[in-house]
Amino acid sequence: MTNRASRLASLAFGAIVVIAGCTSPGATTGPTTGGQASGPPASGGMSQPQVPSGNVTLSGAGATFPALLYQVWIEKFGEAHSNVTVDYQAIGSGGGIKAITQQTVDFGASDAAMKDEEIAALPAGTKILHVPTALGAVVVIFNLAGADGSAIKKLNLDGDTIAGVFLGKITTWNDPAIAALNADVASNLPATPIKVIHRSDGSGTTNAFTTYLATVSSEWKDSVGAGKEVNWPTGDGAPGNDGVSGGVKTADGRIGYVELQYAVVSGLSSAAVKNANGKFVAGSSAGVTAAAEGAVDAFPDDFRAAPIINGPGDDTYPIAAYTYLLLYQDQTDATKGQALTAFLHWALTDGQSEEKAIGYAPLPAPIQQKALEELHRITTGGSPIWPM
Amino acid sequence: MTGAVIAQPSMAARLTGARVGRRRTVVDRSMRTIAMGAAFLCALPLAAVLFFVAANGLSALSLDLITKPPRALGIGGGAANAVVGTLQMVPLAALIAVPVGVLGAVYIAEFANSRSARVIRFCADVLVGMPSILIGVFVFTFLVLPFKQFNGFAGSVALAVIMIPVVMRTTEESLHLVPNSLREASLALGVPAWRTVLSVVLRTGLPGILTGSMLAIARAMGETAPLLFTALGSRVVNVGDFGRPMDSLPLFIYVNARQPVDALNQQAWGAAFLLLLIVLIINVAVRARSWGRRIG
Repeated sequence: MTNRASRLASLAFGAIVVIAGCTSPGATTGPTTGGQASGPPASGGMSQPQVPSGNVTLSGAGATFPALLYQVWIEKFGEAHSNVTVDYQAIGSGGGIKAITQQTVDFGASDAAMKDEEIAALPAGTKILHVPTALGAVVVIFNLAGADGSAIKKLNLDGDTIAGVFLGKITTWNDPAIAALNADVASNLPATPIKVIHRSDGSGTTNAFTTYLATVSSEWKDSVGAGKEVNWPTGDGAPGNDGVSGGVKTADGRIGYVELQYAVVSGLSSAAVKNANGKFVAGSSAGVTAAAEGAVDAFPDDFRAAPIINGPGDDTYPIAAYTYLLLYQDQTDATKGQALTAFLHWALTDGQSEEKAIGYAPLPAPIQQKALEELHRITTGGSPIWPM
Repeated sequence: MTGAVIAQPSMAARLTGARVGRRRTVVDRSMRTIAMGAAFLCALPLAAVLFFVAANGLSALSLDLITKPPRALGIGGGAANAVVGTLQMVPLAALIAVPVGVLGAVYIAEFANSRSARVIRFCADVLVGMPSILIGVFVFTFLVLPFKQFNGFAGSVALAVIMIPVVMRTTEESLHLVPNSLREASLALGVPAWRTVLSVVLRTGLPGILTGSMLAIARAMGETAPLLFTALGSRVVNVGDFGRPMDSLPLFIYVNARQPVDALNQQAWGAAFLLLLIVLIINVAVRARSWGRRIG
């Protein structure tokens, strides 16, 4: 069992690597991110971590946002290394942190960095590495038929209005606050009641979204606050990004928030959100990349970055966040550790080029470099798996 | 004179009697109609479930669904992980639950005094009504947390815990139907008690035991909640490694039905139809057997 568990742990590491690859904001940046990142890092020692030769299965669980990216990564990595199987279950960021704390997985995944108290809750002597894999935008999705019956596809919203809706103060779609931002469709806005769909599980997406609301609305900050789970003033809960987008899709008049990727695959419209420069920007990997590049200097040494809210720049989308793979720094099973390190390395390099095609934002080059260097810190029995 | 005096009230009585009679008929008819409607309402969900699952799932059911592992966005993928997982976890659960349930039933039907039999029967009945998610949490704490690994074995144990009381109660019922004269005849011939139970009682009760076991298997096959914390679910086709996470058809449906991707929703319908077929076949086979016996 322990042998198996350690193999699982290395799988989890692998998944973390994959996730890190997903998050990069490469979509807009072009040459600096994604596509070009595939070469091994310029460091001494082995140029890239070796994939073990025997059969290895890594199991991981966590965030739903990067699940699609990880599934693609796992398939591509598995084509190149058929002896390495990575099994990722999308159970939510809260579940991912819980699983790695209880050591029931080889790796966890979360869209929110672990909080100090979550790190304090880890078993004694356990150290967790955060490896960023991709960046995501939290977009406000809606399902709305206009007064003339045709679907409304474009809406502009600003922080006050979004906070008003999620506080339950703006209750119909033709509210003057919404109409004022959308002069072009104002006459077509229906009196349909607004129905809020939010997450029911602990979620990094919720963390980024509520951090945004707490930044733009002092009322939200005082009455609800920010976190992976909050007491929602209004609306119904649904599990996972998939649950929220599925919930919004089922009926007219609904609004929710999901990772950009889920808006894309579900075909739901998302609102353009007013950024710090006063421009309305639709969620896109380009907008996320702009946000990430603006915040590169603020990226902390322990990798536990806060969501990037209202970053500067005309093209910057105002709600962006890194997603992480969480791994045990010391791998109890050397083979699993190797497989996980190799998988993460692949994800941070080759994997980054997969991101844009499926709507994720690759890591900015400096963050990608930092993440690769972090892989040198993974050890088994105290010695590094991929020495510098 | 006297006849007229008597005839008058009897006339009135006959009139009111006719009115009461009519009212009674109306009440009787309407209540009967309502009861009949209620009876149809009971059958309606089954018909509706069959219809909707068949209508949506029939087109999604294909060889690919059964043989291919899941793929990102569902493109070209299937539910082989779930089919394989269900076909492993449920039989292992039956392997655990049927012997325990049958032996337990033998004890309470043949050997226990009436007081301990009543206590055990009561416990089994409470266990049948226990929310299955609690059984999942319970198994999680002693088969997942200590081993630091979600695993298919824990899933099987959780399913077995659900099956045991079902097997035990149905077996006990069928053992009670075995005529005492058979036991006495066997014992009178000098056959030891254990042999009597094994060759006479269990043998005679076998059809009932089989029925109970099959119903328990059908019940376990459709359980999602006890697997969430134990087998977890897996996108990998896990053949034979009970130490790792496993998928099952209900878990596959649970995960894929809520995805915002049409291809995955379709696969969930296909898996639902497959599960429905299996459970229906088991149920119909079992009922057909017992009907056949009753008629024949």
